[in-house]
Amino acid sequence: MNVVRAWGVPVGAVLVASAVAAILLALLGAPPLEAVRALVGGAVGDSLALENTLVRSSPLLLIGLAVAVSFRCGIWNIGGEGQLYVGALAATAIATRAFGSAPPGVALPLALGAGMVAGALWGGLAAVLRVTRGVSEVLSTILLNFIAVLGVAYAVHGPLQEVVATYPQSDALAATARLPLLPGTLRIHAGLPFVFLLPFLLWLMLFRTAAGLRLRAVGLSPEAARYAGISTSRETVRVLLLSGGLAGLAGAIEVCGVTGRLFENLSPGYGFTAIAVALLARLHPIGVVPAALFFGALASGSGAMQRVAHVPSVTVQVVEALVILFSVGFALPRRGS
Amino acid sequence: MLRVELRDVGKRFGSTLALDGADLEIEAGEIHALLGENGAGKTTLVRTLYGLVRPDRGEIRLDGRETRIDSPAHALSQGIGLVHQHAVLAPALTVAENLALGEKDSLWLPPARLAQRARTLLEAYDLALDPETPAGELPVAHQQRLGIVRALARGARLLILDEPTAVLAPSEVDSLLELLVRLRGEGRTVVFISHKLEEVTAVCDRVTVLRKGRTVATRPVAGLDPRELGRWMVGVDPPPPGEPPGGEVGSVALRAVGLQAGLLRGVDLTVGEGEIFAVAGIDGNGQAPLEEVFAGIRSLEAGKIEVLRSPLALIPGDRQRTGLVLGLAAEENLILVEAARGGSEPLFRWGLLRRSRLRESVRETFSRFDVQGEPAQPAATLSGGNQQRLLLARALRERPAVLVAINPTRGLDLAATGFIREELRRAARSGTAVLLVSTDLDEVLELGNRIAVLFRGRLYPVEAGRRTRERIGELMLGQVG
Repeated sequence: MNVVRAWGVPVGAVLVASAVAAILLALLGAPPLEAVRALVGGAVGDSLALENTLVRSSPLLLIGLAVAVSFRCGIWNIGGEGQLYVGALAATAIATRAFGSAPPGVALPLALGAGMVAGALWGGLAAVLRVTRGVSEVLSTILLNFIAVLGVAYAVHGPLQEVVATYPQSDALAATARLPLLPGTLRIHAGLPFVFLLPFLLWLMLFRTAAGLRLRAVGLSPEAARYAGISTSRETVRVLLLSGGLAGLAGAIEVCGVTGRLFENLSPGYGFTAIAVALLARLHPIGVVPAALFFGALASGSGAMQRVAHVPSVTVQVVEALVILFSVGFALPRRGS
Repeated sequence: MLRVELRDVGKRFGSTLALDGADLEIEAGEIHALLGENGAGKTTLVRTLYGLVRPDRGEIRLDGRETRIDSPAHALSQGIGLVHQHAVLAPALTVAENLALGEKDSLWLPPARLAQRARTLLEAYDLALDPETPAGELPVAHQQRLGIVRALARGARLLILDEPTAVLAPSEVDSLLELLVRLRGEGRTVVFISHKLEEVTAVCDRVTVLRKGRTVATRPVAGLDPRELGRWMVGVDPPPPGEPPGGEVGSVALRAVGLQAGLLRGVDLTVGEGEIFAVAGIDGNGQAPLEEVFAGIRSLEAGKIEVLRSPLALIPGDRQRTGLVLGLAAEENLILVEAARGGSEPLFRWGLLRRSRLRESVRETFSRFDVQGEPAQPAATLSGGNQQRLLLARALRERPAVLVAINPTRGLDLAATGFIREELRRAARSGTAVLLVSTDLDEVLELGNRIAVLFRGRLYPVEAGRRTRERIGELMLGQVG
């Protein structure tokens, strides 16, 4: 029964969304079966496709966790995208400017750490506004997204632009600051195994520590939590630091492990898709893994679908949106469940 | 003219019998006071008349004709209006818009016309308000007045006010009472729920006293003996059986000096080790701020609280809202206070919860405090009695030196009530200093070594030789002398 409750609704949401999308494709005159075949092939058809899916899942997974923990605390952090960008920015600044020639073993941890701290501070800013001024974190995190995205645009046109100044992008990160590829793979970087370990750590934190209990108590009933002696302000600050840090780490890993440099449009909206990931996972850290893989597969398969079946890749965005609608409609954990 | 009779009205909510054959007779053109303790059924009775509560039995007669009132709209069409203590307004809408709400045609009027109409209405009742102000920005007294004007504008000839003065400052009370007199002068009828004797004697013509869902008496106010009124309200039954714990009272464990916060206007109290100090009184006299300052979630405007023995534990007054986190498991609620302090040995090690220790400790606590339920079960699915036992267990399992308990048996059945009262007594016997704040007079008489009454933010001690229902009833109504 529990298993049905935990998995039934999200899986149902995905199935219903796919069915609706298939009807939509048919209406558009595209052969749904062929499109789906192309989509699946592009996502998991061969080892390169599979690697691609995994790499695209990584930021979704990290930010999905970030969103899940903050939502669990009743804090609606919509700022994953911005936190990813400042994380990428900080990592790039460290790796190309401040410590560009640091010895191996120093530059990489510094870059990743800087990304995490920057993301945490970006989230912390929203926390401070909320705790001291009562500004809704929904608004502040959304607005901070714009600042972060535009801040990166400024940086790659200005202070962080590559030395040759041809394109609006940073210099390539030194090899010492890059996450090495795992042997025998073309795209899997060394950060990926660690990323897939995090859901378990988050689960442990949420359900097996005093900090996690406080966090969930505040999310479920701020009043009862306060009467039990929990400071809701402190939990708000903590959870936004944690949440922002996770998203910032996702940004740092993108530049250190995937792109090797910073540029505009670094993220195809990972920070927003991650909200869908967290909701589909019913805000459960372990559930974030399949949810992130699913959305990662959609993203990585959509290109193939466009090439092979001539179905516009934006159709995938329609599927994503439908999944969000259905999972929000049916799968969002009710208060008290 | 409107003459109202309610006959033999009964209403049950779940296991609670709110009305048990109550009668109410209101003459046209009078101000009729409705008096009674918390839970006596006053609000349920007037809500029946306003169509918000459908009674299980009984009848309503308007001008002698039996009538079924099944909605507020129907009540209004009969000329009956009700104003809640906190007037139900749309806070984001302006004063003028709020006045127009509920009238089918007027929301289509242009804003200028609405404002003009509002101005006329407000002036008629000496309410100097800007019609363009959002209602949510008005002070409480003005919101209440606006609620009254709105009810009148909708044609209320009989106006019910549910505890309107509890949220008002003294000068605001005076001007409200003046308005009531004026409404009577216009030939309207007013039903006025109050807990304050002086308000009743100042403006009311007749008073009906309710106790435990029944009507005790209806009398003209003129020439009424206030002592008798108090007796009607609290009854003259002998004090409940069971002795207040009469053990040794040790040194002072909790002291409060000159507490001021919200309604509290300087509360002093001390509670000794092994003693139950019981605070009686009708809700709305400062109970809420008193609870909040002891819970540490409200800062004092003046005065101080000294906790001379620790730890201090709290049983919050609303188990579903402020007591338990309903979505968490019962066992998680049990250790929430420990988690709030950071989580230490023996339940936690290196920050991690030790599940085996937890299970063991929870089983022990559940059987010790007779909590019927699974530790992993969400607190929401426990019965009310078990939820309250869980809160009791949470407070007592650490053997607190000081316990603050707010209405610890509200709404519970006899078995659970008896169990919880016995545990409070037992805690006191083992040396805990207990501060009990309760609106249940039986509970206060049964448990309190010393009793004081909270009235309008001040504490009035019940003299040792006058420990009777009557005396407490007088103090609850503000007969301090």
